[in-house]
Amino acid sequence: MGKVIFLVDMNAFFISCETARNPELKGRPAAVAGDPKDRAGIVLTANYEARKYKVKTTMTIREAKQLCPEIVFVPPDREYYRYISGEVMKILSGYSPIIQQNSIDEAWLDMTGCDIAFGKPFEAAEKIMNDMINKLDMMCSIGISENKFLAKMASDMKKPLGITEVWQGDVKDKIWPLPVGAMYGIGKRTEKKLSDIAIHTIGDIAKSDRNLLIKTFGKYGEELYDLAYGIDNSPVDENPLRNSKSISRSTTLPNDIIDLEYAKRIVLELAEEVGAEARRSGYSGRTVSIAIKYNDFKSITRQKAISPTYLTKEIYETGCELLKKNWNLSRPVRLLGIGLGDLQKGLAKQVSFFDLSGKYDAKEEKIERVMDKIRQKYGDDKIKRAKTIHLHKS
Amino acid sequence: MKFTSSKNSLLEGILTVQKAVTGKTTLPILEGILINCKNNELTLTATDLDLGIETKIDCTVISNGAVVLNSRLFGEIIRKLPDMDIEIEVDSTYNTTIVCGKSKFNLIGQNPDEYPELPVINENVMYRIPQDLLRNMIRQVIFAVAQDETRPILTGVLFEVKDGILSMVALDAYRLALRSSNIGSKNDISAVIPGKTLSEVSKILLTSDDEVSITFTPNHILFTIGDTRVISRLLEGEYMNYRQIIPEEYKMRVKANTRALQESIERASLMANEGKTNLIKMDIKAGIMAITSNSQLGNVYEEVPIELEGDDIEIAFNSKYFLDVLKIIDCEEVYLELSSSVSPCIIKTVDEDGYVYLILPVRLIAH
Repeated sequence: MGKVIFLVDMNAFFISCETARNPELKGRPAAVAGDPKDRAGIVLTANYEARKYKVKTTMTIREAKQLCPEIVFVPPDREYYRYISGEVMKILSGYSPIIQQNSIDEAWLDMTGCDIAFGKPFEAAEKIMNDMINKLDMMCSIGISENKFLAKMASDMKKPLGITEVWQGDVKDKIWPLPVGAMYGIGKRTEKKLSDIAIHTIGDIAKSDRNLLIKTFGKYGEELYDLAYGIDNSPVDENPLRNSKSISRSTTLPNDIIDLEYAKRIVLELAEEVGAEARRSGYSGRTVSIAIKYNDFKSITRQKAISPTYLTKEIYETGCELLKKNWNLSRPVRLLGIGLGDLQKGLAKQVSFFDLSGKYDAKEEKIERVMDKIRQKYGDDKIKRAKTIHLHKS
Repeated sequence: MKFTSSKNSLLEGILTVQKAVTGKTTLPILEGILINCKNNELTLTATDLDLGIETKIDCTVISNGAVVLNSRLFGEIIRKLPDMDIEIEVDSTYNTTIVCGKSKFNLIGQNPDEYPELPVINENVMYRIPQDLLRNMIRQVIFAVAQDETRPILTGVLFEVKDGILSMVALDAYRLALRSSNIGSKNDISAVIPGKTLSEVSKILLTSDDEVSITFTPNHILFTIGDTRVISRLLEGEYMNYRQIIPEEYKMRVKANTRALQESIERASLMANEGKTNLIKMDIKAGIMAITSNSQLGNVYEEVPIELEGDDIEIAFNSKYFLDVLKIIDCEEVYLELSSSVSPCIIKTVDEDGYVYLILPVRLIAH
């Protein structure tokens, strides 16, 4: 029996939450925007009425006002959105016990075998959609497929209030014509790298040479190729980090290197991603590991135990220490990786006699949290540590 | 060499010296026990080069001589022999014959000349302490010695005598145990004894008022316990200034029933086994301490009735550190002295002031 996976995506979530508790906003162009008094504040979510005027997320308030003078701005209330998000998940858990929340406003449901209770997948999706409208006064789009990737792609096809089915057999017609940027999981960096090798649509990926992708992206290349054919075997998992012992990132370098300072900048960039994921998921780790692959394809991994952390800085510094200690600089390096392991929920630090404050860099934490927020609002490449700025030039 | 002995006194001697036989050694002869008959006395000796134990056995020596026998095998043989007199004879090539009742073993022995000699220490006794007291003092501090070798000095216990008071101190990075007792000695000393030595010594000590004699040399300590001598190397290096670590003042004081507190923490820690942190939280208010813990397994809420002097406080700990100490406190009630959620918690018994235990909390970083 084939799997049935839903991706339920709440439409224009923040502003819909606001509209649900303030009916005056209904039918009028409105948006949730960072501090409306500050003209440089930006639009976080605009409702569909405002979108008709081409108001978009990340626009400044001033720009939005120029496009749509009568637009109403509401300041964000994240706590309330989290509460509504919880209500959404409660409703969804009435349809399937296997749910993976992907973000504040979307979740995957494994609906395999649920047709006995709720009818055909499309009918079940209609029931969910009506439930959201009746119980929460919120709209959603639902993607239906046999795996998480296709369900996500399907949910993006029709908004708001869309129910879209994309099955394996539809990939060629419905997925291949899309630009690579529309592919779930592809960021700006990958998009750029793909366009460098003349790959612009998802179909291009499918028709490209698998080995070329692997050469360019490593293991991720293999994954891209599979996804382009609509193949995704990852399970719907309530807590994807629960069973994974580590968060790690690695990158194949454009050239083989023997420059420690350059390598450290790469490690910093990777540590930044690892740290951001740890902070986002609320985990801290007690082991930092590095992976080094030399140009003769021999590779080593080394690790060190540290006081629990999710801070980029601490991950980076431990990574550098390991790198210095274990890399014989006469051997050119092809790939570098860094990971945070031995994960635990939250951050708790045992105070020790040798560190009576329970070593904790509150200032660094503030800096990194602010950087996380900026990246979340404006995109990953909008703020960088000075050390990594020149990394991708030349 | 030839002697006869009762099974029990021989076995007792073997079990005593076996404590110094190391499981892993690069020197195979150290897997053996040196058996020496001289001047009508039988002495068993074992050492791992850091710790050496020798004991005299009540027996009838027929002829002098010595041999080294594998500790494990020799011990097993004697243990399994019937409860009768045992006769042991060693020939010039160290072949050893053990006869007991209708059993007869031939065991290949080793040349005793290859066995390392224990350091020679002139018994110039500095302290005499009732065995029971020393045994208790060791028991009450030994669990706090550092288990890892990051700071080797902390794998030992500080033995400090000043103004007639003996203080024994053990600490790892996160807790400290201090036990003091007036032994009325005028000799001052400060030395660090390996934790392993003390833990073996405490097994040899009896629950009696018989005294144990202690002698120090610059590098060694000698315990004389009845017919047994334990010689150990001392740890080199400066011990931490422990007095500086123990705060003299506190802002809140909690009085609780030892067993009630222990049992609640034991239950709470069932839910706290995530990672190695064993994290439990205490929410202390007038009259009630709420202990909570949650992990991906679920969560737990416990209440312990207490008396509180001072303000409410929330503080988190590794439950293991708390349980280690509560388990060895015999007193019915304990005091917890606190100052803030990131400063040390001092545990004292209500009826006795010779004991101070300190635990550092876990700092919870909230957003």
